[in-house]
Amino acid sequence: MIEFKNVSKTYTTGTEAVHEASFKIDKGDFAFLVGQSGSGKSTLIKLILKEEEPTSGTIIINGKDTTFLKPKRIPYLRRSMGVVFQDFRLLSDKTVYDNVAFAMNIVKATPRHIRRQVPMVLSLVGLSGKAKAYPDELSGGEQQRVALARALVNNPSMIIADEPTGNLDPETAWDIMTLLNEINLRGTTVVIATHAKDIVDKMKKRVIEIEKGIIVRDDKKGGYNK
Amino acid sequence: MKYSVIGYFLSEGFRNVFKNKKSTISCLGIMCVTMLMFGLFFAIGRNITHMVENIEDAQAIRAFFHEDAPEEEVIALKDQILAIDGVADVKYRNKQDAYNEIKEDLGEYTTALDGMEPDFLSYSYVVTLEDLDLNESVQSEIAKLPHFKRITSNNQTINTLSNIGKWIRIITGVILVILIAISIFIIANTIKLTVHARRKEISIMKYVGATNGFIRAPFMIEGIIIGITSSIISLGIVGALYNWSAIKMAQSQTIQEIGVTMVPFKELFTSILIVYIILGVGIGIIGSRVSMKKYLDV
Repeated sequence: MIEFKNVSKTYTTGTEAVHEASFKIDKGDFAFLVGQSGSGKSTLIKLILKEEEPTSGTIIINGKDTTFLKPKRIPYLRRSMGVVFQDFRLLSDKTVYDNVAFAMNIVKATPRHIRRQVPMVLSLVGLSGKAKAYPDELSGGEQQRVALARALVNNPSMIIADEPTGNLDPETAWDIMTLLNEINLRGTTVVIATHAKDIVDKMKKRVIEIEKGIIVRDDKKGGYNK
Repeated sequence: MKYSVIGYFLSEGFRNVFKNKKSTISCLGIMCVTMLMFGLFFAIGRNITHMVENIEDAQAIRAFFHEDAPEEEVIALKDQILAIDGVADVKYRNKQDAYNEIKEDLGEYTTALDGMEPDFLSYSYVVTLEDLDLNESVQSEIAKLPHFKRITSNNQTINTLSNIGKWIRIITGVILVILIAISIFIIANTIKLTVHARRKEISIMKYVGATNGFIRAPFMIEGIIIGITSSIISLGIVGALYNWSAIKMAQSQTIQEIGVTMVPFKELFTSILIVYIILGVGIGIIGSRVSMKKYLDV
C-alpha cells in the first residue's frame, strides 16, 4: 500500500529531513509515525501526500511508483487518501454538511450520491445532529470529527493523519483515536504522525520511529519509546 | 462535464461574489473606472477623428487647364482624373463658371470685370481627395495630363489636418493601451489579494484531491460575473453621458454654426460592448489564472 525504498529528502536550504528511509505499510495496517519535533515525521507525511518530491529513492503507493508522478496526476493520487490535520482545516463559512459534501463535489459525485453519503459518514463519526452547525459552533473534538468525516466520505483506501490529536484534550484525543481504530477495523489503512505518547502506549499498534531523519525503529506492536 | 459540477461551479461563483463583498466592490470599482475611461476616450477619439474626416472631406485641390485647349478634350479628362488613386470626386468648371465665381468673389467691385469676356479664363476641375495623405501623388498625376496648366491647393492646411488626424489616432491608441495595462495590473493584484485571503480554502481543496481546473473554475466564474456586471454598468453610464453631451452639443449655437456633428452612440455601441466583454471576461479569466498560480503549487 505505502512503500518507501531508500527515500531521502534534502530541502533547498540544505537540511536533510529524511535519510535513506525504507518501510512498508500494508493494506489494512494501523501505523504510528513517532519522533521528536523536527525529526522528519511531517516530511514523511508530505512525501506520502506528494506535497514534496524525494531527492532520491522510490515511493510506491497502491502499487504505483509515485516518485515521478506528473503534477496533473497528483489530485487523483490524493483522492485515494483521506487527510486529517492537527488544525482541522475546515471552511468556517460552510456548515458541517457542506464541509463534508465539498470533498464529494471535488470528485464530481452526483447530488443524489452526496445526499445519501454525507449523513451516513456524519453518523459514523457521531455528528448526525450537527449537520447544520458551523465549525465555530463546535468543540475541538467535534471539529476533528468533521475533518475525519470529510477524509472518509469518498471511501479512501487510507487515512493519513498529521498530529490529529495535537489540539485536543486527552479525553477527546482518545475518542478520536478510538474512532480511527474503528475505521481501521473496517479495512481502511491508517497512518498517524503523533506526539501522543499515552495513546501510542495504550493502543499497542505498529510504531515507526524516526530520529534526525533516520528510521530507527519499526515495531509491530510497540510503545512510544523503545 | 456533469450537470452537478457545472451547478457547483456556478453556485460557488455567485456565492463568492456576494460573500467577498469588499473585494467584489473594489474589483467592480476598478473595472468600472477602467471601462468608463476607455469608453470616454474611445468616444472622444472617435468623434475627433470623425470631425477631422469631415473637415478633410471639405478640402479640395483645383487643377487648371489651358484656356486655348479644345473644351471637349478638357471635359474628356474627367474620367482620367477620377481614375487616379486617392481621388474621391471631380467637378468640372468651364470658363463661364470661373467667371461667375470671380464675379461673386468681387462682390460690390464687379465693375472691375466690365468689358471682359470669360474667354481669357482657364478650364478647371475641383478635385476632392479620399485621403489627404495622397495629396502630393494626386497632384503629380494630374500634372502629367495634356493641357495641364497649374494646380492650386491649400497644401499647408491639408498637411496640418492630415497630421492632426494621425496624431489623434496615435495618442488615443497609446492612452488606451496604457489604461488597459494599468487596469490589468490593478485587477490582477486585487484578485491576488482575494486569492491570498482564500488560500486556506485552496489548500484544503488541493489535499482533498481537487484538480487545478476545478479550483480555478469558481474563481474564474466570479471574475466573469464581475466583468460582465462592470460592462453593463459602464456601458449604461457611457451611453447616458454620451447622449447627454450629444443633446447639449446639438443645442449649442456655436456648434451648429461650425456644422460639427457627433457620431451616433449606436455606431459606437458594438465596438465598446465588444471591448468591454473582452476586457471584463478576459481580465476575469487571466487575472484569476495568473494570481492563483502561486497557490496551486501545493
